[in-house]
Amino acid sequence: MTERALLPIATAAQTWTAVRGLLRPRWPLALLAVAVLTAGTAVGLVTIRLLGHIVDLVAAGRPADAVNGPVVALVLVAVGQAVAAGCGLTLVARLGEGMLADLRERFIDRALGLPLDQIEDAGAGDLTSRVTNDVTVIATAVRSALPELARSMLTIALTAVGLAVLDWRFLIAALLAAPIQIHTVRWYSGRALPLYARQRVSVGALQQQLQETVGGERTIRSLRLQDQHQELVRVRSLDAVDWTMRGIRVLTQFYARLNVAEFVGLSAVLVAGFLLVRSGSATIGTATVAALYFHSLFAPINTALGLVDDAQAAAASLVRLVGVAGLPPASTSDAIGPAAATVAVEQVDHAYRSGRPVLSGVSLDVAAGERVALVGASGAGKTTLAGLVAGIRRPTAGVVRLGGHKIEDLTPAAVRRSVVILTQEVYVFAGPLADDLRLARPDATDDELRTALSRVGAGDWLTALPAGLDTVVGDGGHRLTVTQAQQVALARLVLVDPPIAVLDEATAEAGSAGARQLEAAVEEALTGRTGIVVAHRLTQAVTADRVVVLDAGRVLESGTHADLAARPNGHYATLWQAWSHHRPPA
Amino acid sequence: MPRERRPGRTLLRRAIAGQARRVGISSVLSAAHQGGEALVPILIGVIIDQAVGTGTIGDLVVWIAVLGAAFVVLSASFQFGTRTGEYAVERAAHTLRLELTARILHPRGSAETGRLPGALVNVATGDAQRVGMVNLALPLAVAAFSGVVVGAIALLRMSVPLGLLVLIGAPVLLLAAHWLGKPLQRRSESEQEYAAQAAGVAADLVAGLRVLKGIGAESSAARRYRRISRESLTATQRAATAKSWHDSTLLGLTGVFLAIVALVGGRLAASGQITIGELVAAVGLAQFLLGPLALVAWANGEFAQARASADRIAAVLSTAPRTPGGDENQGPVRGHLRLTGVESAGLRGLTLDVEPGELLGVVLADQVGATTLAELLGRTRDPDRGTVELDGRPLHTLDPVAVRTAVLVAEHDADLFEGTLHDNVSLGRASADAVKTALDEVARTLPDDVDGVIAARGHSLSGGQRQRVALARSLAADPPVLVLHDPTTAVDSVTEQRIAAGIRELRRGRTTVLLTTSPSLLSVADRVVFLADGTVRASGTHADLTRDDDRYRSVVLS
Repeated sequence: MTERALLPIATAAQTWTAVRGLLRPRWPLALLAVAVLTAGTAVGLVTIRLLGHIVDLVAAGRPADAVNGPVVALVLVAVGQAVAAGCGLTLVARLGEGMLADLRERFIDRALGLPLDQIEDAGAGDLTSRVTNDVTVIATAVRSALPELARSMLTIALTAVGLAVLDWRFLIAALLAAPIQIHTVRWYSGRALPLYARQRVSVGALQQQLQETVGGERTIRSLRLQDQHQELVRVRSLDAVDWTMRGIRVLTQFYARLNVAEFVGLSAVLVAGFLLVRSGSATIGTATVAALYFHSLFAPINTALGLVDDAQAAAASLVRLVGVAGLPPASTSDAIGPAAATVAVEQVDHAYRSGRPVLSGVSLDVAAGERVALVGASGAGKTTLAGLVAGIRRPTAGVVRLGGHKIEDLTPAAVRRSVVILTQEVYVFAGPLADDLRLARPDATDDELRTALSRVGAGDWLTALPAGLDTVVGDGGHRLTVTQAQQVALARLVLVDPPIAVLDEATAEAGSAGARQLEAAVEEALTGRTGIVVAHRLTQAVTADRVVVLDAGRVLESGTHADLAARPNGHYATLWQAWSHHRPPA
Repeated sequence: MPRERRPGRTLLRRAIAGQARRVGISSVLSAAHQGGEALVPILIGVIIDQAVGTGTIGDLVVWIAVLGAAFVVLSASFQFGTRTGEYAVERAAHTLRLELTARILHPRGSAETGRLPGALVNVATGDAQRVGMVNLALPLAVAAFSGVVVGAIALLRMSVPLGLLVLIGAPVLLLAAHWLGKPLQRRSESEQEYAAQAAGVAADLVAGLRVLKGIGAESSAARRYRRISRESLTATQRAATAKSWHDSTLLGLTGVFLAIVALVGGRLAASGQITIGELVAAVGLAQFLLGPLALVAWANGEFAQARASADRIAAVLSTAPRTPGGDENQGPVRGHLRLTGVESAGLRGLTLDVEPGELLGVVLADQVGATTLAELLGRTRDPDRGTVELDGRPLHTLDPVAVRTAVLVAEHDADLFEGTLHDNVSLGRASADAVKTALDEVARTLPDDVDGVIAARGHSLSGGQRQRVALARSLAADPPVLVLHDPTTAVDSVTEQRIAAGIRELRRGRTTVLLTTSPSLLSVADRVVFLADGTVRASGTHADLTRDDDRYRSVVLS
């Protein structure tokens, strides 16, 4: 397997800079949040002091009414603590969610601006997993781990202060637990992280198997592959169970080791109390407070240490998000001068992998308003040439010009004002149909959208849609047929209204009947434009002004359909004969 | 359809019963853990009383040893109880996953076709897991209950009024918190859901990135995402605020409750009815008991979720088969197909004969009718009226698997599966020779080696390559009857021509139906039947029909 060039991953320093950058505009909010939470936690610690005070009052043999005062104070403390916690957590959420929203927006902005070559080199999965998994991991961390961690750490820190205030020797006793805890965390993160990574792989494989099996249900049924697939699911599922259980084993061992720390610390505090009370330097009440303080630390310590892997996972995701979000913004400067309508390809080479050229020395001039059909077998380089003309790929050598300007000298916006490409991929964006179309022209009115759709022959099914333009389409919505989805793509082209249009096998997968319907739509969408069409069906070549035949990355023939079809033993003539063999002369 | 009111109930019971031994062991161990946790504050009180206050070093050592023993018990029982419980969860989920897979892949199919694959996968993962969770929720609920009982006994032994105060107060407190939190929680959940939209839109835009780049819509897409992200931010912040106040209200109520316990306990201690150690223990227990009680509430929530998930699973498992009835086996196959008066989606009274060994082209202008016909021939669907027969036996009397052993229907959008090219074509059945021949005929320009791995669902291949591999697979299987539905829509015309000849050659003497409008394919057929408006309009060779029938010409040629 060749090494993939993954999308950028930020260094620790870059990540810190990015986090500071997100924090900077919000520092008053951050300070306020920390202050309020600290105040609330500090107030909470008074509770145990008051309980100790009650113990002392009782031990001193004071009358029952003496406890009333501390009890009233307890109620006040409870209310104060609750209000502070409510405010503090709200502030933390505002802070964290705001930063998260900024980060994800910047990420999407930069991700959409990445060159296609770079995304493909990294594998489409890289970007997708960043935008889904990594964003989710960080959102979860911000939503649950961050506030919990903040509260737990504060409680631990302030309780330690509280112990020291009682008597510094209590704090020393309590700290006996710390080495065990530190060792446990080290042991755990060394073991758990690789294990969890392996577990995620295994759960991912199960998920993928289920998608393949459930999605391929009809094929499986007709080929009678039920047993094989049932077995595949069983094996993958068992593997996922196995890795999950390994993770759980480590997790339970982690908490068991923390139990040891709890026991050691608690015993030490009790022994310290025993010695201090005997030597007269502490009251029973103080010893009680110290023991209760330590007991009240069990939960926050477990919480804080248990968040170690959440924190590490979030950090791993963060560097992947910042890696993309930290890229410089794509230039948004608008194009100057009129949009170009001519294309010139000069001696262009292209190779996806060095040593395996896909195009070699291809030249092609297209005049304004001309219609050129690219013809050739699969793998001849049609799609690559189309991508080069549209500026979504860069040639390895040679120059592509739009209206005389080198394409690499133009801003992406300028390129796109001149040329639009409809790729092989048919994709309908999830959401109302109108929103999908407005990606092409954000300020289009509903009428303009309808006109665009009916121009490409989609008027009929548009009126049949349950909610017209507002019908939710795409993933999870109303399912459009392949033909309809391609009509949507053509309608987007009509809305962008560029002088040059490149169409790449836009009719390929619609089935024969759909293909003919689409050809009419393509005709309509190309009216008044310079058109470069990757012709899958030769009917598209017949209607073109010029046919360019590609083979193994080179231009083999170029001319009108009539000329080429008549050329004896010509490549195109052979193709045409095969195509028209069973058709009567028109 | 009349059904059991909560079909999920039985399923839930079955999930627990299937793991009864593990759930039992986990319950006992978790109870021991809770008991140990309850003992800790009690022992702190005892040590303050017996050792710190008045005792000797000897007393201290003894009681610390007892504390150590409590920790050993609680720690060990936690470890093994949790592991056993989690294993029961995973096993139950695994069993449900397999049942669901078996149901989804059942040869008789499913009468309900509304479910998207993604939703079904969610049922087999998320819902199965949530149902499995009852096997952990149940032991923990049992354990929490035991913890409450241990605490109650300790408290009541110290003082009946103090014990009753704590035992009644703690649940009242939790109920109050629950009641207060309910509207907040509902709001928070609905807003969380809304917030998830931002993630969905982001993934959708990235998935369609190529399309966006092609039309230069990157910046309008980014603007749209920004708008949705801001809306989602407002919603999450509202949800987070609601949750923060819910949590802090619980915190405040707990504090007030402790104050009341301290008040009553302090007065009892001051009047000498309980010792100082008992006062310490009572305060500690009041705090501790909130834990197990909250655990009960959590378990209750898990059960509610599990019931909803179980209903969804049961709904999938109980869907009616699409092709019920008929379980006879088909003997040796001659390959004679006959449709008589078939009425179904897109077909109106279709009567059609396919002779044994014939290569028949069937042309339907209408995609719906073509799909229906393909489904009828493989018995993934039964006709509304009329019969489909194979060698004189109605398909609806035959077992669907038997039908598909005789008749292989290859849909135009058939899936490939993860594995090598060779495995995809041979399916572990066809001989190496058959695979080689089939690939030679249709797939000469495919990726270099047959041992190369095809990614999940064939997405590493182009549309044309996928189609050719799928076609090679059907040909290599060499079934007595083969139905090919639009096998070459994504293939260039020269290749299509060659494939047509290959099909002709490989299927010589075997019944083959080509459902297509491609002239290259139709020209190699022995006979072509042209269907219009759901019934036979004309029949003859491709050349005849092209010559004689205008409508045929307009459908097939352009």
